[in-house]
Amino acid sequence: MMAEATPPVPEPGENMGKPLPRYEARAKVTGEPLYADDLQLPNPAIALFVTSGIARGRILQIDTAAADALPGVLKIYTHLNAPRREVTKHYTEGGYVSDSAVPLGGPDIVNDGQIVAVVVAEDFATARDAAHRIAIRYEERSPSATFGSAGAATIQPDALAAKSKKAGDFAGAYAAAPVKIDAEYSTPTMHHNPIELFSTAAAWNGERLTVHEPSQFVWQLKNGVASALGIDPENVEVRDPFVGGAFGSKGMMTQRSPLIAAIARDLRRPIRNVVLRDQGFTLATYRAETRHRLQLGATRDGKLTALSHEGWEVTSRQDDYSVAGIEATTEMYACPNIASKVSLVKADRNTPGFMRSPPETPYMYALEAAMDEMAAALAMDPVEFRRINDTKVSPVTGAPYTSRSLMECYDRAAATFGWNRRKAEPMATREGDWLIGYGCATACYPTSMMAATARAILTPSGRVEIQIAAHDVGTGAYTAMQQIAARELGVDPRMVSVRMGDTAYPPGPVAGGSMTTASAGSAVKLVCDKLKQRLGGALPSGRELEQAFDRLGTRRIEEYAEWTPPGQGKEAVQALYKGQMGGGGGAEGGKPKPLMYAFGAEFAEVRIHRLTREIRVPRLTGAFAGGHIVNPRTARSQYLGGMIWGLGQALLEQTELDELRGRYINDNLAEYLVAVNADVPEVDIIMVPEVDSQVNPLGVKGIGELANVGTAAAIANAVYNATGKRIRDLPVTMDKLLDVPA
Amino acid sequence: MTQNTSLPISRRGFIGGGAVAISAAGLNARAEAAPASAVDQNAPHRANVRFTLNGRSRELTADTRLTLLDALRGPLALPGTKKGCDHGQCGACTVHIDGSRHLACFTLVAGLEGREVTTIEGLAEGDKLHPMQQAFIDNDAFQCGYCTPGQIMSAVACVKEGHARTDTEIREYMSGNICRCSAYPNIVAAVKQARGKI
Repeated sequence: MMAEATPPVPEPGENMGKPLPRYEARAKVTGEPLYADDLQLPNPAIALFVTSGIARGRILQIDTAAADALPGVLKIYTHLNAPRREVTKHYTEGGYVSDSAVPLGGPDIVNDGQIVAVVVAEDFATARDAAHRIAIRYEERSPSATFGSAGAATIQPDALAAKSKKAGDFAGAYAAAPVKIDAEYSTPTMHHNPIELFSTAAAWNGERLTVHEPSQFVWQLKNGVASALGIDPENVEVRDPFVGGAFGSKGMMTQRSPLIAAIARDLRRPIRNVVLRDQGFTLATYRAETRHRLQLGATRDGKLTALSHEGWEVTSRQDDYSVAGIEATTEMYACPNIASKVSLVKADRNTPGFMRSPPETPYMYALEAAMDEMAAALAMDPVEFRRINDTKVSPVTGAPYTSRSLMECYDRAAATFGWNRRKAEPMATREGDWLIGYGCATACYPTSMMAATARAILTPSGRVEIQIAAHDVGTGAYTAMQQIAARELGVDPRMVSVRMGDTAYPPGPVAGGSMTTASAGSAVKLVCDKLKQRLGGALPSGRELEQAFDRLGTRRIEEYAEWTPPGQGKEAVQALYKGQMGGGGGAEGGKPKPLMYAFGAEFAEVRIHRLTREIRVPRLTGAFAGGHIVNPRTARSQYLGGMIWGLGQALLEQTELDELRGRYINDNLAEYLVAVNADVPEVDIIMVPEVDSQVNPLGVKGIGELANVGTAAAIANAVYNATGKRIRDLPVTMDKLLDVPA
Repeated sequence: MTQNTSLPISRRGFIGGGAVAISAAGLNARAEAAPASAVDQNAPHRANVRFTLNGRSRELTADTRLTLLDALRGPLALPGTKKGCDHGQCGACTVHIDGSRHLACFTLVAGLEGREVTTIEGLAEGDKLHPMQQAFIDNDAFQCGYCTPGQIMSAVACVKEGHARTDTEIREYMSGNICRCSAYPNIVAAVKQARGKI
């Protein structure tokens, strides 16, 4: 029996708010100018990047004469005449940029697709034409592209070594374990590919600079541009009311922003730059390829006794970016003996960065695939194997989980999915020419929070305006802030307007780490509390509200609030105003910090054609628990989109690398495959009610990056159940199944 | 990617020392410069075009290289139509031309003489949303909303083409529009809600 898919507007369960339609729904379906490059600037000139055709070497000569001669070309910038910028550090080193290599900083080429020229012209067609007329001669050197390339150095920086988690005696316990798994896994390079292209528009008015750019952190961009241009951040305004998808790619400032702003200053004219789709593969960050070795030991009755997770990640020569997902994988299941280690491999690439569930996507894939292998080795049901090893405390520190509804999620999803029809033996289920397999895996995402500030303005009409420079990347943040404010003030949500994505408003958190609802929402709750207190503890309505305004002798009541997560102090707000992320909550009273995670369980059915090995996923079922759910409609969409992301990661997505040349091959949306409508089956979403009063005053966990964790493992595990073959290197593609007996 | 490949092109640019490499075509800095005499031949041409845009007659003197997408997002000031790839791969720029769906990034303004163009801004009748727009709201058929104008224009055409009879058919005929947020099942639900009302 196939379960009926949950409707797009679900009935709210316990501890869930109302499924209101999105705050900006009408504007989005009518094509209103909401996104950065939709915003108009007076008489802009168009800038177009020209990027390097080699990954490593040096520019010997760059000939722009033919391009300069084209009517409508205003100026062409190369390393020979580039506008000056201050060198700033990578954001993990206290700076602002996502890649510390400075474009047009000199003749050296350090990675594929590096900016080597900027054409500025009256219009895009002229700029593109001119770009094609620029001739460059390079001295080319052999690049180190990835794992195993000559010259790629493996390192373990101290900061990464400090993240290694250990418990008990792994080596001894593993040697003694009666049942063992030792397997290697890999995940490919992936690119976020939001449909909104990266762009920067910059206009100067005297000393003041306005920037329109898709950004998950406008206050970071404001401070970052100021730092790179050596100007006062007070003089920089960033506007980006809505983000057309980001997934991490618009999180931290790239070198493009100050470059475009500097060109606008040099030419004394507003500049509009849109990064072409292929250029976006190297002019923003990406999810680097990873490798893993998992060693599990267990008793015959299914208790884990030893767990080791070793990971390797690629990064650039210039920056040591890592995701180090061992933090999650070592604390997922009860196990007394644990070892873990992550190493970086330095290659001639641009610096990677965060992409939706940066650590969990690759590391949980490896762990959950290994868990399935162990369950098979034990001849045990994979759900029961996880139940036996479920834990309410960290096996590393002993700190408790504030709440953990993992097994409730498994039980609900298993029932809806029909898991009891699964045959444990591979290749046992067939329908005509199709081999059918079932698989499951755990999803998890840590609850993180950042400081946030907010302003609320109340007028005698009873209308409230909430101002917070948080960001809506499609998550439903406007709607969540509207609902939180309306609930706190006891007013109709239609009386609440929300302003975000603009540095004219007080800073909110980065739209990353699934932190917005918990962090920005807590600031909104606090500022609404303060507003109520100004009016004697509750918001009067109608004439009484008018009278209250008369008594106060004003037509406008304004409040401002700063919220800091537990364990963070005033300095977190100061960091926020400087566009820095501050940090997670610290230890409380010397005790280890409690673990805060949202959980889910995901089930997949795969069908593999006996002859062609075509892989289809006719259905996915996921059950998720994320504390208080502000809006079940937008929350369900987050889960839905996440699981489809997971499907893409299992079967489709990979940026292919020419290992000889260190260049991406499929840098476009025709060849970098993401799921399209025809790929997507029935997706059943179950929202498991959960109450967690410890995480924050709203009881909200982050959910935007939860559902795409685990999906790839669930699908790969189902492929094993269908075919008897373990595909340990993602994505699972037809060619990897050719040796399955027909 | 040179504009006119029949032009005589100097091969001198290719000659260099053993260690010298020259990149391939495209904006990855192509190797050759067209000779100076070719610049004039490749200089922009302009064409006078008259067409209907969202019910209004428009006349434009357009650079013959100008795409409908860049015209909408630039001089015509209708940025509802989105640029997602500029290569006909994502569907974000889908508009209607003479009632059927077309990609604005693949359409040159110079070729629009006498044609009728409808964009997302022209779909509603005043304050009254088109049934497909309402269905997208009712089914939460978008998240970030960036691909949404293209999805809605495709969805309207999909129904009019008679390609919305089953879920499978809707999925197939809506697959030219990528939604990276992956609202696909909700888009299918929206098309089903609106298909009887168009």
